[in-house]
Amino acid sequence: MVLPPVAVIAVFIGFPIVAAIAYTLGRAGGPNSVVASLGQRQFIVQHGVTLDAYRDILGNKTIHRDLWATVWVTVLATLVVVVVSWAIALYLRFSNTRLARIVSGLSVVPLFIPVVIASYAMLVFYSSDGFMRSVAYHLGWHSFPTLGYTLWCVFLAEVWVNIPFGVLMMSSGLNGVPDNLIEAARDSGAGMPRVVRSILLPMTIIPTVIVGTFTAIYVLGSFTVPYLTGPTAPNLLGPSMTNFFSAFNQPQQAEVLAIVVFVLALGIGAVYVWANVRTGKRSAVAP
Amino acid sequence: MPAPEREMSVALARSAGRRVLWFLFVSSLIVFMIGPIVWLGLRAFSGLWLYPQLLPKQWTVNGWRQVFNDPNLSHSMKLSFEFAPVVTVASAVICLPAAYAFSRYKFPGRRFLLISLFAVNAFPKIGLYISMAGVFYSLNLISTFLGVVIVQLIGTIVFMTWIPAAAFSAIPRSLEEAARDVGAGPLRVFFRVTFPLAAPAIFVAMILSFLASFDEAQGTFLVGVPKYITMPTEMYTLVLNYPEQVAAVFALLLAVPSVLLMALVRKHVMGGKLAEGFQIR
Repeated sequence: MVLPPVAVIAVFIGFPIVAAIAYTLGRAGGPNSVVASLGQRQFIVQHGVTLDAYRDILGNKTIHRDLWATVWVTVLATLVVVVVSWAIALYLRFSNTRLARIVSGLSVVPLFIPVVIASYAMLVFYSSDGFMRSVAYHLGWHSFPTLGYTLWCVFLAEVWVNIPFGVLMMSSGLNGVPDNLIEAARDSGAGMPRVVRSILLPMTIIPTVIVGTFTAIYVLGSFTVPYLTGPTAPNLLGPSMTNFFSAFNQPQQAEVLAIVVFVLALGIGAVYVWANVRTGKRSAVAP
Repeated sequence: MPAPEREMSVALARSAGRRVLWFLFVSSLIVFMIGPIVWLGLRAFSGLWLYPQLLPKQWTVNGWRQVFNDPNLSHSMKLSFEFAPVVTVASAVICLPAAYAFSRYKFPGRRFLLISLFAVNAFPKIGLYISMAGVFYSLNLISTFLGVVIVQLIGTIVFMTWIPAAAFSAIPRSLEEAARDVGAGPLRVFFRVTFPLAAPAIFVAMILSFLASFDEAQGTFLVGVPKYITMPTEMYTLVLNYPEQVAAVFALLLAVPSVLLMALVRKHVMGGKLAEGFQIR
């Protein structure tokens, strides 16, 4: 019964990834033969493997800048998503006012909006004739920067898209911490910062790590957001690998970039698994 | 000022300061979260709008007329509504039996398989699609209906296995056993007892899968172009090549199914079903 989905994943994900690794190492046979017959600027060997394709792309100055842009946007967006989701979820945990319900509703708005539209909306909002610049103009700030088509807009849009998941995850985590624990700490004189540091944070490490890792992986693997809101160059690796694949007709280089992103994600994924294994029993939301 | 009073005024000032901070936080949250959507909504009806005016100078529905009269755009709408149901049904057929097995049977490798299904989500999407597209050339799946279905299917597998599996697990075995005891066969037990109880969660999974497929743009763009351009993929072209207003109208239209369907399952998603699925068990 479990065979069908596992087979789908093995055939359409596992197999292509193995083929991609072989192709980036210079093997153009079997499943790679058709794509290799179409591509340009390839590094192919008949026997053994070669790292020339990696050397070619990783020696590319434009790619260096894309790689840095990707790392910075990913780190910054992840940090902001974790902190803001924590703040919102913490507020919702201890407050049941109308304002809290408004905040809770606001924070899940992006769930209802497809990413393509969100990206476009962000672009228009921060463009040269967008809302932010118009309002700033009326407030007397005539040189408010145009964020549309910059990495800042990519960063803001990535945060926007990832907030609902962060808030839902953290809310579920914080709601799992029993009230009596918090009250006991408060009765013995602990202030809110202390409660957060000594009780809430240790008991919600897993949801926090999940929010961090999944946001980071999402940003790493995103295409729509940077493609629509970002600059031509340097942009994130998502759009640049798509360019190499379609526009430049260099599929081998595109797949090298894909593998690079996989390796980065693997590092992030290791943190997730490590946190799950290490604190599985202690976490508030663990079964 | 005597000490206690001074303390009180400090406390008051602090709470007033906190209020101001909260006010700033909440108002910037409002602007940040819904500002872009509202602004886009206004764009869809604007005839003439010059920077730095805060509202359009002229209002019009021309953009709407243009969208519905453009054969490319209406074709992509039709395509989107063809792909999403096919993908959802295919995903249900492939994943629901597995979800049942995961929750009811302990078999060797169960944990490994669960994690590997989940690992699909841990791959950076665009890298995955690039690798898939490379092999799809050899499998003759580029620019085919089946190729697009497969790409979109990948994004629905996690919803379709994890959410129903949790629902099946939540049904007490004693209920099924009781039905067996009074003489119901295994199939009858499944369709009269288990399935009705799990149906709401399956419904949620199907809605989420429908939306995942309907809104999928990156993979469809790589595999489906130029033959299969769905609504979200069409947005890429629209943003670059069409008047801003037309893009705004099309974006609003594309958001309609998401808003309606998500509103249907809002309670389940917010109630933690999604969050719970992210723990490895």
